[in-house]
Amino acid sequence: MTEPAILLDHLSKSYGDIHAVEELSLAITPGTIFGFLGANGAGKTTTIRMLCGLVRPTSGSAKITGADVWRQRHIVRSKFGYVAQRFSLYRDLTVEENIRFFGGACRVPRGELPARTDRLLELTDLTTKRHAPAGSLSGGMRQLLALACALVHEPPLLFLDEPTSGLDPVHRQQMWNLLYDLSHRGITIFVTTHYMDEAERCTEVGFIEKGRLLAKAPPRALKASFHAKLLEIEVEPVMEALVRLREVPGILGVSLRSGSLRLYTADSEKLVAEWKNKWPFPELCWVGHRWAEPDMEDVFTAYSQGYAAVLKPAQS
Amino acid sequence: MKRGSFSAIASVAYKEFLHIYRDRRVLILLLILPPVFTLVFGHAFEAGEMKNETFQWRVEPATVTGEWDLLGHAVQAALIIPQGWNDGLANGDPIPLRLYLDGSDTNTADMLEGSVQKTLGDFQLSERQVMVDALPEDVFELAKKLPVQVRKQFVSMMEPWKTEGKILYNPKTRFIDYVVPGVIGLILQLITVTLMACTLAREREAGTLYQLMVTSLRRREIVIGKILPYLAISVVLIVGIIFLTSWHFQVQFHDPGALAVICLLFLLCSLGMGLLISAISRTQTQAIQFSVFFLLPVFVLSGAFAPLEQLPKAIRYVSELFPLTHFCRAFRLVNLYRATPQYYAEDLVLLAVGVLITFLGAMILLKRVEQ
Repeated sequence: MTEPAILLDHLSKSYGDIHAVEELSLAITPGTIFGFLGANGAGKTTTIRMLCGLVRPTSGSAKITGADVWRQRHIVRSKFGYVAQRFSLYRDLTVEENIRFFGGACRVPRGELPARTDRLLELTDLTTKRHAPAGSLSGGMRQLLALACALVHEPPLLFLDEPTSGLDPVHRQQMWNLLYDLSHRGITIFVTTHYMDEAERCTEVGFIEKGRLLAKAPPRALKASFHAKLLEIEVEPVMEALVRLREVPGILGVSLRSGSLRLYTADSEKLVAEWKNKWPFPELCWVGHRWAEPDMEDVFTAYSQGYAAVLKPAQS
Repeated sequence: MKRGSFSAIASVAYKEFLHIYRDRRVLILLLILPPVFTLVFGHAFEAGEMKNETFQWRVEPATVTGEWDLLGHAVQAALIIPQGWNDGLANGDPIPLRLYLDGSDTNTADMLEGSVQKTLGDFQLSERQVMVDALPEDVFELAKKLPVQVRKQFVSMMEPWKTEGKILYNPKTRFIDYVVPGVIGLILQLITVTLMACTLAREREAGTLYQLMVTSLRRREIVIGKILPYLAISVVLIVGIIFLTSWHFQVQFHDPGALAVICLLFLLCSLGMGLLISAISRTQTQAIQFSVFFLLPVFVLSGAFAPLEQLPKAIRYVSELFPLTHFCRAFRLVNLYRATPQYYAEDLVLLAVGVLITFLGAMILLKRVEQ
């Protein structure tokens, strides 16, 4: 078996009494697009910062291609590129100057820089913007430039912290196409995201909640971890129904999807049978029901809200 | 250091240079302000050469009565000749003259009192001469009976003693010669500390510091790379100010080697101070505030414009903490006193210690930030 690109072994980080990351263990094989999902404050950023060697783990260890991320952080840093959540390049420098600076900072041989810069500009479709100040770029182009800067030393691993947040669909698509290209070339990609449709695009997904890893599997396997199909009902008026149904014992959660209400509950078959027998809300008008395949949104909701009842017992 | 390290430092230095070059306001500040400051300060302190020759007597009618009338008559001193003064002189019992002095500016009162005393003394001497000349012949005959020794002593005592002064170290007694290191130091301290303090804080504010830290750049490479462009600019500024003062104010500079060493140590110390401020501030605003709080006492207490000896002893210990104090002292020792290194070695050592402390402090603080 090849050495994992990233190997976390009971990685923990606490700030005083606050456990930001607890006992995180996972292995990511090279070439994977690993989607790291979790609510704000779940520990995603702390994990990435530990992996980048910016934050010292309280206990446990993390290795990138075999090198410890803290003790050998200066070696490890040449092995990954990092695209921050916030635009963090030099606005007053031009696109080309940014790429060349990070190339120099990452010790790319001077002779190779011009060719690499050209290649990266072409890859990210920024050749025409080459002499524009980075601050004048649109949000999408900025992220593409950040990606180019992160790739300048040709790292085998790429960390992206919410790279598409705030981007329009066109740029999101472009970004993901680029990531596929990179993955195809064997680069391991570790990406955090809020967008569930993006989670679907990953080859593997990890859920973190309150510093703990709840699940790690390919998206399909995660969706298969639901007991059964999800119940979707149509009721009028829908907003009032949503509020009322949330209060019903046994219903863990309700989410609104294209005008229908999707219910998370342990035994939905039984519930439907009961309701067909007697609809308990005279002021609400029952229109119909159907069964829906769980998507990543459902997976995220179930894991992040702790709806254990709708999930199959976690496989080890 | 490995070759890769040099090229990494060069990348940081070039990037930092681009920041300065792109920020037109800072560029103008750097290019316009130092020469303008030099000219303004230079001319401002030329006024300090004002001599007592401008001291003028004005006779007023006997309307001055109170102690508070100086302002009303727009004078700084009033010598009141009381009624009956002539009678007092005639009776061999001179009434003291009353002298009112404007003490609001502490220097002026002393200066005025000295001038008044001198004027009075001169007047008294000339009157005495008139009196002696008018003495009857027999008095001189009588005096001739005194022993020669006593007569000679008497003559020596009657004549005011003269001093033959020779002014050393600043023979033209031009204040500009004294104040040049103050001007150079002030401008450089202002520019290096504030600009340097802003560099790291700006990166932290923009989030680029994280991006820098996840590259394989070492901390020392970042720090050295950031300092180099400012060091180069400061050297250019020093040379510019020296040219300007020697051309416009005819200030002479001696021993360029020693002056270069003093300037370099001072610059590194200032840059280190800026770096230290940079390391403790989260934002550029904070960096500027810290800089101002640091620079204000420096300007007042460093002896850049006035001799430190005027300050109380306790405050002088505080002054010794500022690099500008040692810079000015060493610079003057070389340029005015033409002193040999043994006289200013102490200042050089202290500046070097300052460089070490600020740089190490900044490194440690940055390390803490990193974790």
